[in-house]
Amino acid sequence: MKKDRVVVTGLGVVSPIGTGADAFWNAACKGVNGIAPITAFDTAGFRTSVGGEVKGFSPEAYLSPDQISSMGRSSQLAASAAKMALAQAGIDITQQDPYRVGVSLGTTMGEPQILEQGIEMIYRARNSASGLPADLPAKYPCGVISANVARSIGACGPVIMIPTACAAGNYAIGYAFDLISTGDADLVVAGGSDPISKIAFTGFNRLLATAKELCRPFDKNRDGMCVGEGAGALALESLTHATNRGATILAEVLGYGLGCDAFKMTIPDPSGSGGILALQRALDNAHLSPDQVDYISAHGTGTEENDKTETLIIKAVFGQKARSIPVSSIKSMIGHTMGAASAIEAVACVLMIDRGVILPTINYTEPDPECDLDYVPNSARNAAISVAVSNAYAFGGNNSTLVLGKFGG
Amino acid sequence: MSAVSCLGTNLGEIASSLLTPPRIGAVQNFEFHSLPASQPCFPVRDFDPEAILGKKGLRTKDRATKLLLSALELGFKSQFESASDESRPGLSIGTAFGSVSSIGDFLSDAIVNGSHNVNPQAFANTVINSPTSNANIRYASRILSSTVSTSFNAGLDALAYAVMFLRQGHARCLIAGGLEEISYYACTGLAATGLLSPFGSLLPFSREAAGTLPGEGCAVFCVETEASAQERGATVIAEIAGIASCFDPKRGPLGYDPDGHGARHAMKQACVNAGIPPEEIGFVAASANGVAAADDMEALALSDLFPKIPIAAYKSKTGECMGASPCLSMACALADMKAGRISGLGSAYPLRRDVNLVFESIPVASKQYALVNAFSCDGYCGSIVLKNRT
Repeated sequence: MKKDRVVVTGLGVVSPIGTGADAFWNAACKGVNGIAPITAFDTAGFRTSVGGEVKGFSPEAYLSPDQISSMGRSSQLAASAAKMALAQAGIDITQQDPYRVGVSLGTTMGEPQILEQGIEMIYRARNSASGLPADLPAKYPCGVISANVARSIGACGPVIMIPTACAAGNYAIGYAFDLISTGDADLVVAGGSDPISKIAFTGFNRLLATAKELCRPFDKNRDGMCVGEGAGALALESLTHATNRGATILAEVLGYGLGCDAFKMTIPDPSGSGGILALQRALDNAHLSPDQVDYISAHGTGTEENDKTETLIIKAVFGQKARSIPVSSIKSMIGHTMGAASAIEAVACVLMIDRGVILPTINYTEPDPECDLDYVPNSARNAAISVAVSNAYAFGGNNSTLVLGKFGG
Repeated sequence: MSAVSCLGTNLGEIASSLLTPPRIGAVQNFEFHSLPASQPCFPVRDFDPEAILGKKGLRTKDRATKLLLSALELGFKSQFESASDESRPGLSIGTAFGSVSSIGDFLSDAIVNGSHNVNPQAFANTVINSPTSNANIRYASRILSSTVSTSFNAGLDALAYAVMFLRQGHARCLIAGGLEEISYYACTGLAATGLLSPFGSLLPFSREAAGTLPGEGCAVFCVETEASAQERGATVIAEIAGIASCFDPKRGPLGYDPDGHGARHAMKQACVNAGIPPEEIGFVAASANGVAAADDMEALALSDLFPKIPIAAYKSKTGECMGASPCLSMACALADMKAGRISGLGSAYPLRRDVNLVFESIPVASKQYALVNAFSCDGYCGSIVLKNRT
């Protein structure tokens, strides 16, 4: 029962290679490596010491001192990205019906640094919580991230947090797409955020899933993923709303699809069943056939299991055409930003569609016979993109694919 | 409908339990932490997940996951088993804190025993969506595994998510609901924030309201299109006639907007979405939880929109079950609708404002609709209009 088309009119991004769409884009086109030694916590003794941190992030450019002090880092990242997206879209929320403006966000860990801080304090106080600052616990539950974003931009419509791990950004954008296309909202800021997390870093290290130095998706010598942080946000609105206010349209959201492996919590189904379902459902939802797809933004974490499975998924859906579709993973540059990953990848897809350049998979030196597609190795490539699909997979076998397209009027 | 709660596991048990006094218990010891004093709460007593689920695979699951799995097993096992791979219902589950006990214990383990010694298997439970994902794996659903976390409104927003998923044709049949466990971390957080009652009682709308008491549980509903229900030959319990969520950015005492703009909008919009005037509502299941600021806000909004309609306050019997609360309140409202009454709180007490709170059970008016509210300290506001269909 779609009622209206959904278009993208603004982008916001905070990433290890740049803050703001232009800074991010310029670095990504050059293939800048954002993986570096982690400074947020002690990494001594782990199999790796690197990750994708956002260095020198200054929320002061987007938020007031009171707002900053009331938020954890994940909220600060998300609210900053949201404000960037609205600024680019040229939207003054005070001129909108606030109940028609929504927020739909995803995250993997929420505000883990708040919990880490609280538990450290409890242990330092010999298991007493009496010294916890009264305002600390309220900053933790991940629902506060979307609430903080809504409050910072003045949204009073549907506001939701969908913490479906590393596919959360796509889930959130998909829900925003549904809210707008059914007429439940005119404008939704959609995306995802995650801060660098000691929990995630520890856990992925204990699972032996982290790369020692570099993230090398699809390369034969890949040795894992790099934990990262960041936020991505898209200003999405109905075509009617965007047209009525004379907005510049960057791209169109054409559809999305979800699919479940129903296999294991931490390992993808090696047959790729859930990822295939998500991709097929996304194309169906967008009323597109596989031969209309020009580019695939890969989940591409750089782990043995993911990259093999994702290659298999792409081959299963696209058949012979799979080898001729460019596939790249920006995680090679920024690491795995968890719940932000697919949101930042959606931002990247919109930029690629808008600017006619495909971002590369860097650190690619030796082809893997089991990963034998065109991964756009090491250098950006000029190419017109009419339709891009973006895959995102998550713990628990929660798979998703988003379809974005060039707006054709 | 299925539940694991202090009131029971199905509408019949819940209907009976609503006529009994609140079953307040206490908790003090958790795996890694103890509270300085016993915390009065509404635990699910005698919860035995092994008896419901069997032993296999439970060792590494946290309590939140076991609550969800048990509710699904009790209510929907046969539905999952009889459905084809393509039609097995997907899951949309709301929770405020998700797997916080697993996350906190993982961190505590790292502090006590060193980061290099933590159990890697425990890491899988530290993603907020691990209860839903574990359930999705157990019941082999291929359609949807979604977790929603909007503070104490999470269960309602998970239902809203499911309704949208159905409206858009992504699925025809889903299981949606709310989930929360009582955890050290949630109790500590609620206490530090000042939301918990120092008196060990939960008295909604009371002049003496001084805070709430934590509860836990899981309530899940099979939500599907009318056509799907007809094809399955399912008995329709009720219709979600209208559902609305909005956000109130104004922060008053403990985070609640004293003017209740968001609360008022959510209730109005739910009625608009249901296509009915407020006068058609037979009774309201309030969100009131004994926190004075929350109760004042809701009372003000109710007095504007529903000045004479009976108000039920089920949290006096369930506790504040956080993300599970809206769905437990919905289960209680359905139980009352089916029983043809509105269950009362018991002994009357002085109220903060002029609210038509039901103390002694009364027959439900001959109206088909009930309104279920959920309002959170973070600004989340939501309401559901239920239409009795049996």
